[in-house]
Amino acid sequence: MQSLKLFKWTNWRLAAVLVSVAVALSLPAAPGLAVAPNPPPFGMLCTTNGSGTPYAAFTLTALSGTISLSDGNTMYMWGYSEGGHVFQHPSPTLCVTQGQTVTVVLHNTLNVPVSVMFPGQPDVLANGRPVQPEYTAGALTSLVPTAPPGGDVTYDFVAKEPGTYLYESGTDAATQVQMGLFGALVVRPTLGVNYAYNRTESRFNPATEFLMELSAIDPYQHQAVQAGRAFDIRQFRPRYWMLNGRSLPDTLYPNYAPLSPFQPYSALARIHPYDAATNQWPALTRHVSVTPVDVPFHPHGNNGLVIARDGRYLQDGAGNNLAYSKFSMDIGPGQTWDTLYTWADIDGFASGTHKVSDEVTIPSELNLTYGMLYSGSPYLGDLAAMPPGTFSMNACGEYYIISHSHALNQVTAWGQGLTMQGMGTFLRVDPPLPNSCPN
Amino acid sequence: MANYLNTRRVNRRDFLKLGGGVAVGLTSASLLSGSALARTLLQPADIAPSRGPAQRAPLGVPTPDLYLAGTDGWVCLAPTVSIPPYHPDSFAPAPFTTYIFGFRNVTGMTADQVQAQKGRGQITAPIIGTDEGHDFRINLTNVGLLQRPDLFDSHTFHWHGFRNAIPFFDGEPIGSVSVPVDRDLTYYYHPRDPGTYLYHCHFEDSEHVHMGMTGCVYVRPAQNGGGYRYAYNGLLPTDPLSTSYDREFVIVLTDVWAEIHWGDAHIQLADWSDYVPDFFLMNRRLYPDTLAPNGGLTDSSGDLIAPSGHPELQYQPISSLIQCNAGDRVLLRMVNLSYLEQSMTLTGIPMRVVGKDATYLRGQDGVTDLTYTTDCVTFNAGESTDAIFVAPPHTGGGYDTYLLYNRNYDRLNSGGGAGLGGQMTEIRVWATGTLGPQTVPNT
Repeated sequence: MQSLKLFKWTNWRLAAVLVSVAVALSLPAAPGLAVAPNPPPFGMLCTTNGSGTPYAAFTLTALSGTISLSDGNTMYMWGYSEGGHVFQHPSPTLCVTQGQTVTVVLHNTLNVPVSVMFPGQPDVLANGRPVQPEYTAGALTSLVPTAPPGGDVTYDFVAKEPGTYLYESGTDAATQVQMGLFGALVVRPTLGVNYAYNRTESRFNPATEFLMELSAIDPYQHQAVQAGRAFDIRQFRPRYWMLNGRSLPDTLYPNYAPLSPFQPYSALARIHPYDAATNQWPALTRHVSVTPVDVPFHPHGNNGLVIARDGRYLQDGAGNNLAYSKFSMDIGPGQTWDTLYTWADIDGFASGTHKVSDEVTIPSELNLTYGMLYSGSPYLGDLAAMPPGTFSMNACGEYYIISHSHALNQVTAWGQGLTMQGMGTFLRVDPPLPNSCPN
Repeated sequence: MANYLNTRRVNRRDFLKLGGGVAVGLTSASLLSGSALARTLLQPADIAPSRGPAQRAPLGVPTPDLYLAGTDGWVCLAPTVSIPPYHPDSFAPAPFTTYIFGFRNVTGMTADQVQAQKGRGQITAPIIGTDEGHDFRINLTNVGLLQRPDLFDSHTFHWHGFRNAIPFFDGEPIGSVSVPVDRDLTYYYHPRDPGTYLYHCHFEDSEHVHMGMTGCVYVRPAQNGGGYRYAYNGLLPTDPLSTSYDREFVIVLTDVWAEIHWGDAHIQLADWSDYVPDFFLMNRRLYPDTLAPNGGLTDSSGDLIAPSGHPELQYQPISSLIQCNAGDRVLLRMVNLSYLEQSMTLTGIPMRVVGKDATYLRGQDGVTDLTYTTDCVTFNAGESTDAIFVAPPHTGGGYDTYLLYNRNYDRLNSGGGAGLGGQMTEIRVWATGTLGPQTVPNT
């Protein structure tokens, strides 16, 4: 409503600094997080184990921690950390290869029983036996066997099918999943790392692989859990909506941004325009939702080609390709959706071969409101004059194209009014190489 | 370059087809010049009628095809329902109840007339029809908010779903530009993908979309012609699976949270995380107003003329009444610009879903038919659905009535008031040959 409060200024300015710094340097991994050193600033990050062998073994510790929110608030959370490393939210993205036997040892440091479920994985064992619901005094208390407080349970399964999956607690799930006990599991196909599935149509550019974990937080629920009080689940009402555990504009910070030390995953997607010779393979976005309602996720700039849902490529019994194109993905609770995405300079405007000024009169910068990510110019790779006093974070004339939930009440934060927070992020389209972008 | 809108001549029969409002409309219309007549005829429905090969001015930029203004206004929703202190709004002039933001079609108006539309926004915004392969330019003027002189919000035009847009024409304010008060900007598109899209203001869109700056834009396929219209290029009318149609109706689904509309009029800011809608609207009206005639004609000042017999619907000009002859193929272009998932059910007539999100339901081989038959389509905010039904047989006088409504029964009321309300409309099937050809949507 108030135009001047369009953004959370401080966080957006910091995002600008971090975006440019991270691109200039390869930031080392924050201490304690189990990923390869010097992870890239944007794109999905994998926690792996046993690459190239038949076995992948992970140790997940259920523990508590704190995250920072876009409005400056903090939130008490639970999560799984991997290999004894520090708390992070969301829990680490586990990447394995089709056919590997995956072992997950869950060690519980919380004061309630917890568990891990692997939706979509058949024949999961817990302590060597097929997983079964757990009963306490005749009542069903967990969807799968638990690790008691201070104790362990070991799950095993064979990752038979490639795809994008969720892992999450199966114990008091309405509480524990919302508290943060969830993460993504990616199974890479035997066809190769450049493919999402064992179909050539699932080929993507591995430098542009992105994960979007959709979630929401009710601060009163977290407060009740932290204080050890009961919470009436019927009163559940989210006040914060997140992508990869962060709200806009924090979603734009790079991976491992110091500003959010326990929320390592960026949600900024960074690509180059489609080019038949130099950039022909699309970006892959893996969406995973633990939000308790269907979320209509809408990328601007192009449709996404939905190639798979819930870890299965969309094809019929005869193997015909049933992938379909959407400008809004209606992602349900617990669902995963894989989309391929490109952006192409189809009108020739980006490159300037087709002049915007041939089609419309471009008003003076004094007669327009300029956005904080705008370069001042309609052309890709071009920086131009901004109105006096306007702050822009644009580095090198790149395009910023928004993606957000179209349930626009989710593009907000608790009591923050119209300040562009919540479930949103941007796609950054960099000018074709060589360009003047810092790294 | 010729302004295509103004080349069309208008006659009495065309006005009759706008469904009511005949006497008033004709009287006013006869005082207008030819170009203004053409523009008003096309309110609130089809803005850019099918046209021939694209033309370009040899020098200078072409003039826009459509001029929209963004402003605020007042509309009428369930005046007997009380949601104190929010509804009816104590600031609302009679016969209105609810404060809104809206677009208006101001094509052909003088600068003074455009300014005179401040505070006269309409919801839903004008229906926009464009053609595959033809440039389309829309100029947006920000006229300001009459009720809120303290609020200097900019506006944008976001064509939701337009593929490969550049940010400058995408209308998303952070990544590009927006239109300040008393300024204007022209957006350019070269549509390549037929189908049904949405458009809305994207400036502080949680508010501006909810307040009413939303509409439907669609792209007619290049295959149109020879007396046939299609939703998508592909099968010819001889094939029962073709997307040819005889009549089309745009159905825009939205909702209203009374507190936030009241808050914008009374300079109060509600917490958006408290969002809980009170009303569920179809083309921004509540049943049975959804059946009321179209408005959309304008008077000499440019102000909207209310639909006949419905002064309270002056700024809600788009009807949802679906009328057809037995055997007609009817295309429903349904878009959801509420913040909730909706399930629209058509009783008694199966419909074939041919497109979603402006994408023809065909396999990636371009041939395999993936259209399907159903009686209920579910789609969430920001999605569109194209469905075609064939009107069942009817003989004799009068019409048969079928219903299109939201299967979420708790939304089939108007603010909790007695009786049916909300997102419901009727499909009236007449005997073959009763109704003449349709020339604009929702008539």
